[in-house]
Amino acid sequence: MNRLTHLPTLRIRPESRRDIHYRGKAHPAAAGDTIATALYANGVRIFGRSLKYHRPRGLYSLDGECGNTTMAVDGVPNVRTETVPARAGMTVKAQNVVGSAERDLLGFMDALSFAMPAGFYYKTMHKPAPVWPLAINRIRKQAGLGAIAPDFEITGVFDELYPRADVCVVGGGPAGMCAALAAAEAGLRVILLEARPWMGGFFDYRAAAHPGGGLLHERARELADQVEKAPTIRVFTSAAMTGAYHDNLITAVQQGGDDDPFDSRYLQIRAGAMVAATGCIERPLLFENNEKPGVMQVGCAHRLARTWGLMPGEKIAFSVGHDLGLEAALDLAELGGRVVCVADIREDGQDPALAAALAERRIPYFKGWVATEAQGRPTLGRAVFSTITGTVQKEFSCDALVASAGFTPVTGPLNTAGAKLAYDNHTGFFLPTDLPPKTHAAGRIMGLQDPLSLETSGRLAGLRAAADCGKRVDDAVRDAEAALASQPGPERGCKLVTAPVKGKKTFICFDEDTTLKNVKQAMAQGFDVPELIKRFTAAGTGPGQGGIPGHNLPLFVAQTQASPDKHPRPTTVRAPLVPPLLAEYAGTNHDMSKRTPVHESQAAAGGKMERIAVWNRARVFSKSKGAKAEIENVRTNVGMLDASTLGKFRIFGPDAVKALQRVYAGDMTKIPSKRMKYAAMCNDDGCLLDDGVIVKQGDAGANDFYFTASTGRAGQTVEWIRYHAKYENWDFHLVNLTDAYGVINLAGPNARKVLEKVADADVSNDAFPFMGYREFTVNQTIPVRAMRLGFVGELSYEFHVPSSWMQALWDVLAEAGAEFGIQNFGLEAQNTLRMEKGHVIIGSESEQRTNLLDLGLGFLWDRNKPEAKTVGAVALRQAEHQKGRLKLVGFRMAEPADRAPKDGSPIVDDRIRGYVCTARYSHALDMPVGMALVEDELTPEGTRLSIFEDGCEGNLIHGEIVSMPFYDPDGKRMRM
Amino acid sequence: MFGKSKRLWPRAPMKTAYDAVIIGGGLHGLATAYFLARDHGITDVAVIEKNYIGFGGAGRNTAIVRANQRTQENVPLYKEALDLWPVLTKELDFNLMFYNCGNLNLAHGEATLKAMRLNVATAQFHGVKSQLVDPKECKELVPALDISDRPRYPVFGGMYHPPGGIVRHDAVVWGLAKGAAKRGVHIHQGTEVAGIGTSQGKVVSVETDRGKIHTPRVLNAAGGYAAALSHAFLRQRLPISVLTIQAMVTQPLKPLLDHVVSSGTYHCYGNQTLKGEIATGAHMDPWPNYTTDTTAYYIKHQAEALTEMLPCLKGVKFMRHWAGLADMTPDMAPIMDGNDPIEGYYVDCGWGYFGFKSSTVTGKYMAQFMAKGECPDILKPFQLKRFQEHRLMGETAALVNYSPDN
Ligand SMILES: Cc1cc2nc3c(=O)[nH]c(=O)nc-3n(C[C@H](O)[C@H](O)[C@H](O)COP(=O)(O)OP(=O)(O)OC[C@H]3O[C@@H](n4cnc5c(N)ncnc54)[C@H](O)[C@@H]3O)c2cc1C
Repeated sequence: MNRLTHLPTLRIRPESRRDIHYRGKAHPAAAGDTIATALYANGVRIFGRSLKYHRPRGLYSLDGECGNTTMAVDGVPNVRTETVPARAGMTVKAQNVVGSAERDLLGFMDALSFAMPAGFYYKTMHKPAPVWPLAINRIRKQAGLGAIAPDFEITGVFDELYPRADVCVVGGGPAGMCAALAAAEAGLRVILLEARPWMGGFFDYRAAAHPGGGLLHERARELADQVEKAPTIRVFTSAAMTGAYHDNLITAVQQGGDDDPFDSRYLQIRAGAMVAATGCIERPLLFENNEKPGVMQVGCAHRLARTWGLMPGEKIAFSVGHDLGLEAALDLAELGGRVVCVADIREDGQDPALAAALAERRIPYFKGWVATEAQGRPTLGRAVFSTITGTVQKEFSCDALVASAGFTPVTGPLNTAGAKLAYDNHTGFFLPTDLPPKTHAAGRIMGLQDPLSLETSGRLAGLRAAADCGKRVDDAVRDAEAALASQPGPERGCKLVTAPVKGKKTFICFDEDTTLKNVKQAMAQGFDVPELIKRFTAAGTGPGQGGIPGHNLPLFVAQTQASPDKHPRPTTVRAPLVPPLLAEYAGTNHDMSKRTPVHESQAAAGGKMERIAVWNRARVFSKSKGAKAEIENVRTNVGMLDASTLGKFRIFGPDAVKALQRVYAGDMTKIPSKRMKYAAMCNDDGCLLDDGVIVKQGDAGANDFYFTASTGRAGQTVEWIRYHAKYENWDFHLVNLTDAYGVINLAGPNARKVLEKVADADVSNDAFPFMGYREFTVNQTIPVRAMRLGFVGELSYEFHVPSSWMQALWDVLAEAGAEFGIQNFGLEAQNTLRMEKGHVIIGSESEQRTNLLDLGLGFLWDRNKPEAKTVGAVALRQAEHQKGRLKLVGFRMAEPADRAPKDGSPIVDDRIRGYVCTARYSHALDMPVGMALVEDELTPEGTRLSIFEDGCEGNLIHGEIVSMPFYDPDGKRMRM
Repeated sequence: MFGKSKRLWPRAPMKTAYDAVIIGGGLHGLATAYFLARDHGITDVAVIEKNYIGFGGAGRNTAIVRANQRTQENVPLYKEALDLWPVLTKELDFNLMFYNCGNLNLAHGEATLKAMRLNVATAQFHGVKSQLVDPKECKELVPALDISDRPRYPVFGGMYHPPGGIVRHDAVVWGLAKGAAKRGVHIHQGTEVAGIGTSQGKVVSVETDRGKIHTPRVLNAAGGYAAALSHAFLRQRLPISVLTIQAMVTQPLKPLLDHVVSSGTYHCYGNQTLKGEIATGAHMDPWPNYTTDTTAYYIKHQAEALTEMLPCLKGVKFMRHWAGLADMTPDMAPIMDGNDPIEGYYVDCGWGYFGFKSSTVTGKYMAQFMAKGECPDILKPFQLKRFQEHRLMGETAALVNYSPDN
């Protein structure tokens, strides 16, 4: 197609050519073309087929308000080709077609639309019942627009940016640019977001005169120039805002240009104040076949010509409700287009100069007329017009029908920021009634059209935003207010919602193929709120969301209900305002996990690392089944485990002990200096939250403790203490040392022999007994806090050292242990070792309803500290004699030859009576043993348990309650 | 088939007295009204809805249904609920669009698999189909799934539950409204309940912004607002924390996911609706609030999580993001109770983010409760007193905490 050249408004560079591929052919595009404009230039008029009726769909708007021109591009479905630049080598495919967009084998669906009234699916397909499962498959195949392959892998660089700004201006039209300039002049840092690749907005493509002199597009470039030169304004073009969240957190997605190092980037801006200057889209005109390819909006036709040098058609008809439509008709004629007629919905109120210019050009001009039907197959060939009352008709042959009822303010940024909207009778808009704090609106979004008013309102909003950021701009605000008051205010909007038609093929929502008739059907069935009609007819729930129906639906509903108390009620606008790819949201998908200070050496030693919540931990080192070698090594020799993931804290200050008393079940006042106590924490229900050890540091008088929490509970422990001390005014400090300290567990009968070689202290059993706590150095250098604990049931030490010393201590111990054959052990081995000892892991042997008594840990509860108001104590007292609670028991298999049951298997009789927590083959005992939570009736020793494993099909296996611990019941080995 | 359409639920005059009043035109309220009329001949019932029916969780949920819960108190209830969808579709002559696609829950570690084993075995014990699957089987069920070592939490196995699926949530609301109205129930939209009148320990009336209604029975089925109303009207405090929960959908696609896929580790589930959108939900907000605001954090989190499991979805777009309320009890099981301590006052709440699937069956038994005045056995485990006795239900193994200390 021949392009208009030499227009000052053009945004293409025809000399820079690139090819895109469509239907097996290369189609030339110019730099600056979108995919859609390039295809249009190559004669493509049908871009795809509609969802339900497979109607042909063409270029209608250029800002992606509907899915008409969404296509698959390089395997990515639903790409808005109107807004995506054409890049060399792109492969483009039409969607929802069987065959091609022009010849779609499912095109006959359109003729069946009568059989699919609103709510069709709800009322059919379920009779008779067996039909439904079959119908589902059909429905699924019919539904959906684009397709994605299950093995699709996206390519490209998806970046993220989190800037901070004083003022964020959304929209780079005249109002937005003036707002940005005003805020920048006040000395603020401004971010300006513009969805199009350039600033200029409403002025950019227009050749009308600016009241201040020159032409509108010249003024646009002048303002853009000033914005670009302003040192404190950062402009993001091709950056569509996706939502505003609490406290002016504004998100957007920016498309990378040819020279950007990213393909796309997610922007999340924290701004002091926001100015929404997003202007208007057009309110679609409702008439028969109002979405036939060839029908397009005013801005679409006008920008096609002015920005991309493409005349929308050979014979162009207009049906509009505003002066901008008249201006576009005249401008197209000026550019050499053949305008066959202009129907103006308005009887009066037009700019007389425009009317006169139409007359001068001998363009047939009809006031009080409107298009009622688009005809032609498959694209537009003729249009029918009538008076708005429908009494007189005329027909014009045309291949483009430029149709627009009025404007719709793009209030999405305000909606998502939390503004409430109400219907405004003068403009016919839903306008914000009250804006959230530090949020402003400017420009056409307020109903303004006059170029000077737009600029002044922008300036005013920019100044008000500056005031929000603490700038003293009162005088300037007053001046701007006065200036705005003296300029033309909001224009009266065109009230016509629909042409005089029955509405069988009048589409209120293109994406969902919802017609006026469907809306009427919904209303007849009792759906009288726009929000419910939306759900029942699906209008506004497709890819373009409310873009097409968002304004017309509530107007139509209010008009049809025609009762005076029914003010139009808008449907809800939700983020994302433009739909980003999941790849764009996911961005770099940075993984923030934690590694212990000896992570590398664990992995190098063959540790199989596993993500456990935020941590990476070694599950096993050896290849032997069930970590048998590691287990045996600990039982008979000596092993080392990296336990750095334990929560570690210091609490100190005059009231530190009171805080501990509150949250721990035991008595924390009774820990002697430099001693340690094992303790448990319960929630208000007396259920076990956490366990750990508490060390009293310093002298007897010091209120200074070091304590531990289980892996993964560090954060919650801090919050728990903070919460329970909140109203007490206690004076203490709590420091989370979890990442500052590492922990090594040295365990096994030879552990002392290893330690003796390196510790600068007497670590004999007398000097450092079981449950003892010592502080000493290793090799005269490494400061350690050493605890003798017995989680795995052997002679065992826990060393807590500053993280920076962890690797050194690990290496020292490994070297000292080499002569004994010391080995690493991992979580898998630890799990069996502790299970043999009957030691619980929270969440494994306890559920959230398991209290301290249920676990047999009642000895950790000191009931003689009532003044402490111990969390959970009341509940423990109440639960003490309750029947039917699940209790922790040990069991072995009734048939010695049976294997251990699978963890999690229920214990049953005629109902479920409990379940297996952990069961393993114990190498030490040479038989399977396990722990289970069972109803109290089943706890006596010798009780037979029937275990129902998944997939057992009724073949139960049996266990028998035995006492715990299974291994070394007297605890001699820990005390060795 | 396409004769002149009638209103699905006719406009009804507001009377000054009803046999029963139901607060909340959500799923639970409408279902109870329907069963009061269907099973107990109590048709003089008013459903009072502040906004429009389906405004609350009923219209915002992601419509997942299943019966593979953890405990024997729950499984039979949810099993009956699953069996009810086809029955009600026929009875209401309204297609509830039960899509029985089955649910796949992913495990990313040994501990999760163990937890799933209990659910699976419990289901099997009750005759409900459910089984553990290995990563290869997961991939066969959901070809888009990444079972390589690439994701942060590689797939370790899963739990597959064929009887579950999704149901069209709006259809349930409208179908129940239609069925209830047909049997004489009055549905009053745009009407707010402002108080409950009692006399000598008995309910006698309900205050609304359209006047007083005399009634001996009232059901509080106000979803996320139920606990607040209970406290405001009767000073009854329920152990409920209310949190915003968010969900979103992608643009519609041709069939890609044939099952509901979910992962607790990623805090993420996804399913493809019959319209072709991938509906996906996120975890609740980290602290209590009634805002129903969406957050930038969650939609981003959701994209990260979902594309780790299903990498092809990187090429798909999110289209709409919304939020509703989840009313959470300390044990993640609901509160269904009544006549205690105030005669004639019933509550059905605490349904959090799982009260869609159970709505019909709950309505059936709450109706029985309200008609007979005696708690049906199947509802007894859900009574309020379990919290006073510190005997939580075992629906969740992990410790949960939704209070401000969280
Ligand atoms: C995002 C999200 C996803 C979910 N996903 C699922 C899922 O996949 N599966 C599942 O099973 N469940 C899910 N749920 C949970 C489910 O939606 C709820 O549990 C269920 O809707 C509760 O139903 P309800 O009837 O009790 O309450 P609602 O549906 O919330 O209804 C309560 C009604 O009470 C009205 N009301 C409140 N106050 C008053 C008053 N004073 N007077 C009159 N009326 C009043 C409200 O307007 C509302 O309409 C989800 C919830 C959310 C929010």
